[in-house]
Amino acid sequence: MRSSLIAGVRRSPDILISVVLLILIYVVGVVGIPGFGGEQTFKAVLLLASFLGIAAAGQTLVVILGGIDLSIPFVVGAANVAVAKLYGDGMPFLLATLISLIVAGLFGVANAAISVKSNVHPLIVTLGMGTALLGAVSLWTNGLPSGGSPAWLTQFVAIGSTTGPIPVPPVIFLWLLISVGMVVLLRASIFGRKLYALGNSPQAAELALVRRLPVWAVSFGASSVLSAVAGVLFLGFTGAAFAGVGQPYLFLTVGAVVLGGTLITGGRGGYVGTIVGALTITLLTIVLTGFGLNASLQQVVMGTVFVGIVAAYGRDAHVRSRV
Amino acid sequence: MTVPTFRPDATVLFGLAVFVVLLIINLVVNPSSFDPVNLPSTIGFAAPIILCAFAATPSLLMGNGGIDLSIGPIMGLVNVVVVYQFATQWGVTSAGVLIPLALGLGALVGLVNGLIVAFVRIQPIVVTLGTYLVCAGLSPIIAPTPGGTIPDWLATLAGPLSIVPIVVAGLLWWGFRQMPLYEHLMAYGGDERAVFTTGISVPLVRISAFTIGGIFAGIAGLSLSAVLGSADPTVGTNYSLLGIASAALGGVSMAGGRGGMVRALVGALTIFLLQNLLTFLGVSTFLLQIAYGAVLVLAIAVNGQISELVKKVASR
Repeated sequence: MRSSLIAGVRRSPDILISVVLLILIYVVGVVGIPGFGGEQTFKAVLLLASFLGIAAAGQTLVVILGGIDLSIPFVVGAANVAVAKLYGDGMPFLLATLISLIVAGLFGVANAAISVKSNVHPLIVTLGMGTALLGAVSLWTNGLPSGGSPAWLTQFVAIGSTTGPIPVPPVIFLWLLISVGMVVLLRASIFGRKLYALGNSPQAAELALVRRLPVWAVSFGASSVLSAVAGVLFLGFTGAAFAGVGQPYLFLTVGAVVLGGTLITGGRGGYVGTIVGALTITLLTIVLTGFGLNASLQQVVMGTVFVGIVAAYGRDAHVRSRV
Repeated sequence: MTVPTFRPDATVLFGLAVFVVLLIINLVVNPSSFDPVNLPSTIGFAAPIILCAFAATPSLLMGNGGIDLSIGPIMGLVNVVVVYQFATQWGVTSAGVLIPLALGLGALVGLVNGLIVAFVRIQPIVVTLGTYLVCAGLSPIIAPTPGGTIPDWLATLAGPLSIVPIVVAGLLWWGFRQMPLYEHLMAYGGDERAVFTTGISVPLVRISAFTIGGIFAGIAGLSLSAVLGSADPTVGTNYSLLGIASAALGGVSMAGGRGGMVRALVGALTIFLLQNLLTFLGVSTFLLQIAYGAVLVLAIAVNGQISELVKKVASR
């Protein structure tokens, strides 16, 4: 067990570096901010990171494939507004959620199908499709978010609530469940093998009879479904629908994935890294807020830290060594 | 040396057709924006989109993951530094100071992008996301609230002289095309390893692509300031993806090595004409979003389909 752990660290030192960084940010917070570092801090970090972690789970699959999904913020917003509207119109909440997840899944499959069939970059496809989707949902709701969230959903994501005897909100266990699913999917499933094969070399994978479309469809479908889940959770968290709720996730999901050591060009990485990445971004935001930095300064620091961290372990090989 | 002409290979035909159709519909439905009296201000509205598509192009041509997400925030930063800090706070309104300032600021951020990409060897999307956040964060620090006034000469860039920044950017690119570096850039976008083994300086190619993109973003920032008529710390960020989408729509290859400014121009004008038409018709912004997304995906997908077809026919 121990040797396999060491072997794992040797294989991907990036996770070790980002865990060390995470601890470092925590220590800086404890030293510099009075009252920081207690139970409340842990709960807040876990809670806020769970939204990002869930939204970035599908992005991890897509980035391992060598793609990128820019439709995430739009899907988060669309699901948020659509579920609130359906629920407000009298539909049972779970049915409304189910419908929006199915629609999101089909939307993701459409992203994949267009990208694969026309052989165009998913960046533009997901951007265009996402813009159109959110536009369509806003048109349907007249841009006036209506409805709300049922009390149990608010409890599900409230920082003060408990899961049975455990003093953390249930959403954290949902994230844990999704995390286990993701790790099993990536490490112990045939789908996972195909995903890495396609990410490393689409040509070689296709010669090994891995078909692109099914793997892309599942990955982009999962990305949209999980974004929709995050959108519904946000509804419980803020209590009211807002089409722009996903906005920060345009780049934050990519940030969490890349900070976690997943190669943006595809083929290498995993979800454990994304978990650490989501925790790092969330903790850093909370610590910077604690030091009294406003949102603009936080962005400046975040951008600098982001490039700095990736410089520590995400560097490309010199072209010389690739000839 | 090749003469800079538009070579419409089959892969951009559909995008071109969409552009022509939109142009005709615009001319029929809304001729007043194209009559000689209003044309300069119409061009003024189009200029920031056209110039940010130009700004997105050099890094896309570089290929090998080349992309510049920071162009929008550069435009926003130029806007607040020139209009808010210099022209309004410090009262420096001379064109001789502000124009070099805008271009220099754009070039500086582009140079930083290029240096990090070339020497630290981090993927361009990660580097420019970092500078995106830094520039977008700095803008509200410089100008906490929208406001300020622009000098008279800058206001003419939204009116009678609106075509000037586009022409200047075009001339700069034409000049760049006369240099061997341009051929190196296009070759690098085609095959990185081949370019390296022929002894071409790969770092120089990467740095130049981002610096030129940054200069174009600086010019775009001036045009944007002229249209806005004041400083706005939040408006720039939208232009990053708009510029990249415009370039891709016009047929600039995301994989590098294929395309140029004429294609970026066609793509940007397509998006502008679509906006112009729908705004004139008074449709809701949501319908505009749907149309923008649909046209983008449709044009890209059909161009892709045609390119696949061409490949199949060629391999027969």
